[in-house]
Amino acid sequence: MTTSPEAHDPAIDADPFDLHDVAWTAVSPRLATARLLVLGIWAVVLLGPTVALAAVVGAAWLWAVPAVLAVLLLWAGLLVRRQVRALRYAERADDLLIRRGILLRSLVVVPYGRMQYVDVSSGPLARRFGIATVQLHTAAPGTDATIPGLPPAEAARLRDRLASRGEARLAGL
Amino acid sequence: MSTALHPVPESAGEEDYDWRRLHPVTPALRGWKVLVAFVAVIGFQMSEMLRDVAEALGPGRAWLVVLGAVLVVGVVGFVYSALAWRVMRYAVTDGAVHLRTGLVFRQQRQARLDRLQAVDVVQPLLARLLGLAQLNLEVAGGAGSAVQLAFLRESEATALRAQILALAAGVGPLPAATGPAASQDPASQAAVPPDGVPPAGAPHAGQVPPGGAAPVYAAAPERQVYELPMSRLIGSIVRSVPPWFLVVAAVAAVGGSIALGDVGGMFVLVPAALGAGGYVWGRINTGATFRAAASPDGIRLRHGLTETRTQTVPPGRVQAVRLSQGPLWRGADWWKVEINVAGYGGAADAQAGSVLHPVATRAEAAVALWLVLPDLGVDDPLAALDAALAGVDTDGGFTPAPARARWVDPLTRRRHGVLVTRTALIMRSGRWWRSVVVVPHERTQSIALEQGPLQRRLGLASFVTHSTPGPVAPRVEHLDQHVAAALLEEQARRAREARAVAGPELWMRAAAAEIGASGEVTGAEPPHAQAAPGEPHVQAAPGEPRA
Repeated sequence: MTTSPEAHDPAIDADPFDLHDVAWTAVSPRLATARLLVLGIWAVVLLGPTVALAAVVGAAWLWAVPAVLAVLLLWAGLLVRRQVRALRYAERADDLLIRRGILLRSLVVVPYGRMQYVDVSSGPLARRFGIATVQLHTAAPGTDATIPGLPPAEAARLRDRLASRGEARLAGL
Repeated sequence: MSTALHPVPESAGEEDYDWRRLHPVTPALRGWKVLVAFVAVIGFQMSEMLRDVAEALGPGRAWLVVLGAVLVVGVVGFVYSALAWRVMRYAVTDGAVHLRTGLVFRQQRQARLDRLQAVDVVQPLLARLLGLAQLNLEVAGGAGSAVQLAFLRESEATALRAQILALAAGVGPLPAATGPAASQDPASQAAVPPDGVPPAGAPHAGQVPPGGAAPVYAAAPERQVYELPMSRLIGSIVRSVPPWFLVVAAVAAVGGSIALGDVGGMFVLVPAALGAGGYVWGRINTGATFRAAASPDGIRLRHGLTETRTQTVPPGRVQAVRLSQGPLWRGADWWKVEINVAGYGGAADAQAGSVLHPVATRAEAAVALWLVLPDLGVDDPLAALDAALAGVDTDGGFTPAPARARWVDPLTRRRHGVLVTRTALIMRSGRWWRSVVVVPHERTQSIALEQGPLQRRLGLASFVTHSTPGPVAPRVEHLDQHVAAALLEEQARRAREARAVAGPELWMRAAAAEIGASGEVTGAEPPHAQAAPGEPHVQAAPGEPRA
């Protein structure tokens, strides 16, 4: 226990997830609206029947179910905006960085040369809100390199850019 | 059918390829499988219904009906297989292996040789009795992307493997006439191991087929580096959990039956015995006669009792290695060595294909690791490996998890650690279930930093590198968050630099370009193959591994 170096110096207490000289780009705040809408739909689907059931049966303890659901939904709703704000990406010369999460944070570095293909997808709701998702695939299934909530123009630009960079730096497996 | 195939240039156009048929016994072997599947499915799924039908028909006729059904299914399966065989063709060109299949839905699949990840010759029991073999060409395309040539004559399969490996290695087709002069070829010169065995894939001078100038590809020379003795395999099974579980269950059931005076409890043993028996059989069947050899074409593994499998994994195709040891193996210091190979990941028999050594001694584990990574990138590889396998904290220059990580992981904290060498990343973890993962820098796919709420409070972070599908998932838990972030940045740079200098996919060309005058290729002697564990070795300069 004494041999391990305690590298915890308060002087360098910067956020390690903020790699220095990296210009992060945030995703569109419309993603938060879209996610809130989805959450709202879930709220109707979940709360409606449980409230109706509690009202019909009339037992006081049955109200606990919608109450718990409401608290969870409210918590999720409050988190959405912060989660979307925490979702950022950065293009560097040789790799793409993606960071996400508040409670469970992650930072992924995907080298362009490792990219196998790029997906751009946009569901009906996402199209309504004018956002698209760009996903990078490497040969590793563990690579979770998804950037949701990009404006379609930016998504297309990113896709082309990633594809051209990937080609330039392609390196087998 | 001659085993010497002219590799047609890929650009010749599909119709000009040399399309060949598989062995005519193939439909019989496949039809047999259909029959077995049918009997198994009907037997297990519909036994209730069958019983009702049998009762309705009366005892004598029921057997006739069952026999008739089996016969009809057998004939249908055989006829379908025969028709499928008629349309199934394969062709080898200088750039790819093509396979045409499909009676109703036509399919043409090609495996590009420069994307070849592994070549396996598999012989199931029945095929083996008939002298047939199946050739599997694994490419990195996820599940079901392999090109399977089933079945070929055994000699044909091995000849085809030699040819495919030679073409994939970039040795290229050489007319038989230049055979005796092959040693003037730079690629083959580089590949000649010190003992002067002919090089990989070069045409063998004495093997010109009668009546043709077609090149014959000799199999690459190989040297066996380790072999698993049966006694150790059985010992390793005895020292694993399922047999003991069975013993405990048996004692409990027998004791319970005696105490209660009721024999019914004994029947609990049947599924337990079946499960444990299946496990033991699986271990013996895949691990028996396990041998590994080094050759210029890469690692060659042979194993199997009833179904034999000969795997060839070309150099640079192994994405990650894991050495692991359970608590019961510690006394004997045995290690299981597993690898990630892009082609094997999605396959159903991935477990069988991804084992580099089922039960290795420490010295053999070092050799197995050397097979994958001839240069570990430290001055004293054995010392570094010892520190990785058994060390804690900063042993061997590892960067460990800081002391405050005890709040999230009090038991195994001291084993978490990472060592960066010139060529690879070594990650250490597990106190009772020890595990060491080695990822060559140029094989890093993507890397990540992860942090949960508790880790955040303690200023810790986990470092993850993503590898292709397989048994190895490299990660280091609970590093200091700044150390982990620095490691992330450095590793991104190191992986990029390693990729830039990494050899081309045609490995023999790489060897030729690199070696020039003299040097050792993968066929050379393992540096410490003969060194017993703990024995002082020649290169034992006290290393100063970079952390």
